[in-house]
Amino acid sequence: MSLRALPHADPGVPDVRSGPRLLLWLERRQWRGQLAAGLWGLLHLASLAALPVAVGRAVQAVADRSTGALAAAAGWLVVTGAVAAVADTMLQRAAVTNWITAATRLQQLLSRKAAELGTVLGRRVAAGEVATVSTNDVEKIGWFVETTARFSSALAAVTGVAVTMAVTQPEMAWIVAVGCPLMTLSSLPLLPYATRRADVQRARAGRATVLVSDTVAGLRVLRGIGGEELFLRRYRHASQEVRGAAVHSARMWALIAAVQVVLPGLFLTAVVWRGARLALDGSMPVGELIACYGFAAFLVTPLRSFEEMAMAWSFSRPSARRAARLLAMRRQSEPAAPGYDVLPDGDLFDPVTGTLAPAGLLTAVVCGDPDAAGRLADRLGGHDPVARAAGEPPALLAGVPLDALRLDDARTAVLVQDKETTLLSGTLAELLDVPRSGAVTARRALEAAQCADVLEALRKSLPAPRRDLPGPRDDPMAAAVTERGRSLSGGQRQRLALARSLVADPGVLVLDEPTSAVDSHTEARIADGLRELRKGRTTVVLTSSPLLLDRADRVVYLAGATAVAAGTHRELLRTEPAYRAAVGRTADERPRRTAGERELEEPA
Amino acid sequence: MRGVRPPHDDPAASRRATSLPVASPAAVRRHIGTLLRRHRREFALLVAVNAVAVGASMAGPFLLGRTVGSVAAGREVDLAPTVGLFLAAVAVQGLFTWQVRLRGAVLGERMLAELREEFLVRAVGLPPEVLEGAGTGELLSRVTTDVDRLSGAMREAVPQLVISVMWAGLLLGGLAVTSPVFALVTLLVLPLLLVACRWYFRLAPGAYRSETAGYADVCGTLAESIDAGRTIEAHRLGSRRVARSDGRLRVWTGWQRYTMWLRTVFFLAVHATHTLILTLVLLIGGWLTLRGRLTVGELTTGALLVQMLVNPVDMILRWYADLQVAQVSLARLIGVHEIEAGQGPGGLAPRGREMAAERVRFGYTPGRDVLHEVSLRIRPGTRVALVGPSGAGKSTLGRLLAGIHTPRTGEVTLGGARLAEMPAERIREHVVAVSQEHHLFVGTLRDNLLLARPAAADDALWDALHAVGAADWARALPGGLDTELGAGGLTPVPARAQQIALARLVLADPHTLVLDEATSLLDPQAARELERSLAAVLEGRTVVAIAHRLNTARDADLVAVVEDGRITEYGGHDRLIARGGTYAALWRSWHGR
Repeated sequence: MSLRALPHADPGVPDVRSGPRLLLWLERRQWRGQLAAGLWGLLHLASLAALPVAVGRAVQAVADRSTGALAAAAGWLVVTGAVAAVADTMLQRAAVTNWITAATRLQQLLSRKAAELGTVLGRRVAAGEVATVSTNDVEKIGWFVETTARFSSALAAVTGVAVTMAVTQPEMAWIVAVGCPLMTLSSLPLLPYATRRADVQRARAGRATVLVSDTVAGLRVLRGIGGEELFLRRYRHASQEVRGAAVHSARMWALIAAVQVVLPGLFLTAVVWRGARLALDGSMPVGELIACYGFAAFLVTPLRSFEEMAMAWSFSRPSARRAARLLAMRRQSEPAAPGYDVLPDGDLFDPVTGTLAPAGLLTAVVCGDPDAAGRLADRLGGHDPVARAAGEPPALLAGVPLDALRLDDARTAVLVQDKETTLLSGTLAELLDVPRSGAVTARRALEAAQCADVLEALRKSLPAPRRDLPGPRDDPMAAAVTERGRSLSGGQRQRLALARSLVADPGVLVLDEPTSAVDSHTEARIADGLRELRKGRTTVVLTSSPLLLDRADRVVYLAGATAVAAGTHRELLRTEPAYRAAVGRTADERPRRTAGERELEEPA
Repeated sequence: MRGVRPPHDDPAASRRATSLPVASPAAVRRHIGTLLRRHRREFALLVAVNAVAVGASMAGPFLLGRTVGSVAAGREVDLAPTVGLFLAAVAVQGLFTWQVRLRGAVLGERMLAELREEFLVRAVGLPPEVLEGAGTGELLSRVTTDVDRLSGAMREAVPQLVISVMWAGLLLGGLAVTSPVFALVTLLVLPLLLVACRWYFRLAPGAYRSETAGYADVCGTLAESIDAGRTIEAHRLGSRRVARSDGRLRVWTGWQRYTMWLRTVFFLAVHATHTLILTLVLLIGGWLTLRGRLTVGELTTGALLVQMLVNPVDMILRWYADLQVAQVSLARLIGVHEIEAGQGPGGLAPRGREMAAERVRFGYTPGRDVLHEVSLRIRPGTRVALVGPSGAGKSTLGRLLAGIHTPRTGEVTLGGARLAEMPAERIREHVVAVSQEHHLFVGTLRDNLLLARPAAADDALWDALHAVGAADWARALPGGLDTELGAGGLTPVPARAQQIALARLVLADPHTLVLDEATSLLDPQAARELERSLAAVLEGRTVVAIAHRLNTARDADLVAVVEDGRITEYGGHDRLIARGGTYAALWRSWHGR
């Protein structure tokens, strides 16, 4: 598999029955890469093992005073070195490619799952958990996949060297037989403790990071009102806890490092002791003694892979379990499409509240309870999991229950812009590039939503023109909107979101408090623009702003969760005292000035 | 093999732009020097212990060389002392390795803790103006990403580099002791490696940064898709998000291809150098031995030491890139130290409570003023509402009055003293600004309130909550004041967060307040109730309120209409209505008349 072929055209259907099954599925999907890494790894280890032999031969040649043999040994050395170089490089390439291939596949599966689940995902798992899987777990799973190939080649190499040593020097056999397993297994009992301590350390570090980033995020508040010392104290405490945990964890790793020095050292000593005895007896040439020493020193390298494998397994298992659980989630009860090929077009009606939005008109809904308003907005879009769970009947569009349509069709027919709608990062052009009818241009939508100042702010944010880059450099459509539109003010964000909904130009548009963060001047202009742009289309606005209500064809007033009155804004103001109170008219009847304020004089 | 070019799309490019200072290499070196001096005893001990551990690891080749030499010479050897020395060396190496790792961690962790705590101390001391200008995002990335990178490097790269540099040095020393020729050969071939290093380390850090940034983009895109799940579903953007994720993956794998190519070339060069050194040592050493200039034992020792040299050199090369990354992170962290912490000498104190802006001009970017010659005088105890269209400069004027920004020309004074010359801590004893940007800190509800007045008793906290209409729901919380808020705990809706922000204001109790859309997230009725109860508590305080709901303006004593960076109308509600200007027109349209 070449990196050039990534991302995968189709990441496949994972086996998500359990964590280990997911790991196995990933391994099987890229067995060719695994095989290549394994073979290169074997060749690399073989060449590493051959190096001491060459060195031994060279010393032997000198001891035998043979120039020719010395030259031959040097040649042997060069060839071995070259093979080792190529094999090691190719092993790195193959192993990293395996890692990336697995990580890419998982990331692709995650993004597809997120798109499939949509709203449901956020309801069922915390956003943080998905983030953990994508940033943390994918890496660990990739590590495991990468390590398996190294492990298999190390296993083969250790077996090979041990057998060779045992066969060529039978007297060494028992040292090898005892030494190898001992070295492999020695630090394994310590590893669980070490990883547990490392987990504690990570958890504490995570908490400290949450604290510090939270403090920094709220720094403007802190600097404005005080409390810095309080937060510094909290952070110092957390930071010292991290230090304690890190040192605690380092104690165990230091011990493991010592064991990893002592045991191979003892093994080496045993080999030298035994070998020297044989050499002194004359039954072993010095060259072979050096080779034996080299072999024994070499064994440390593949034995480390055993340990790495043990660690990768212990780290990746929980990660794989989390990933499998996430990938196993489904969107429930997608209804079978009963063959509505043409999207229904007509009045929108919510049976729960009795709210009716006649086709082609601008209907405003006033609802005292903001929660009930949000619920109404959700229901008007259909396919609302909360409503379904509560057993509420779905909204009807031209008499057709929206839930009976395919999800995609329902979303095409009715677009609900919720109260806290999110701007996606990218250029302004990308932001406004949503599926649309084509009847409304981005320019018209931006004008209707009164985005002139947003465009100006974005134009200013563009980098200075560069001669080496083509194209006009003062086009705000090319300016970047940061994640969630954080670089813009609340009102600017709201107007851009409105422009995006207007560009989509759906048959029915439901807007929940679309101008709550916009000043009155602008709100009045938006109300006019909205009316003009949506002429002949069905629009529902949930609002309590008189500026919007006054421009609606029809206003529905909800008391609690029931529509109790409908008419124009002025009619309702006249006839419904409760409505008048809800839209903020009571102030008119109240005496305004308090005693203390009368002595103030106004400037000339 | 053809070379791989770096991809066009560089995800690290946008991150390179920074609005906060980055320390110069000299400043970084000075800082490291200070850190080391502060811990010089621990550091010296660490180096000594490490030297012993490394020295003990070299006993093997020497002992084996001696044995081989004796065997080759046909001398009788007593193995017991050799084996004894071998064992002693192993024991020493084990013991000292353990100590090096442990002491290294203790020292490293202490220095890390100092660095991150110092950084936060500096960060919370930054003038509000800097925070407004740079935004907290940049600071946030430094305190998370850069601290993480630095921690990773301090835990692994720095100790490994210290160990391996000493190891390589001692091995070269050992070679020189065995035979100067060996050391000479090694030093002659090393320049070959240096050429490869120069090439690699010139390109690698940037490439790895881009690769890391590319991966962060992959994760970030997914995180955004989940965060914006509702919007994506409503606008049917699912397949576009998948395509976007795949696009990010393509960029990331592109950078992986490039770094892989860099490593391929570099690895081959490193291997070639190793082989060349080993071969030359054996050939030249062998020739010298044949001529009788060296013994077989010395040749063996030399060959084994050269073989050992592979390990520290590999380690140095492997960790050097991490060290480069850590250096960049350190420069970003201590760069914040270069910002002047205070504004002026701070000896100034206001005499009185009158707030005034005198012919103030101000702009965020040079040559583009947002406010033009604005003058405003606010008597103590007055409630002033600023109204006007978006982008007219209302919030900017509010920030100038709260001392967050300093006017370009003209001055803002409180009780006759210029705000520009007072530190933030002094200003906020008198003036506090609350904006629509609310923030609840991770911690208990009590913590979230106490920051405004650390010594406040619970009764005072409840009174403040009552004043902002939050007492009822706060009482209903499972733990009352001890309820954990934020990550992992309870996350109140924005409207409640805004109430808490206002409760802090009540606790802080300044005589002058700037409220910038401070109730915009509450529904209109609740907002007005809150404003009224707040008004009762804040009786006699000076209030500057920026609000888009005209009810607020109507309840104020004076209304200032801000249009295009100027105050065009200023007066009481009734007078402005009577005048029939912008405000009157706006009021009529708000009333639908």
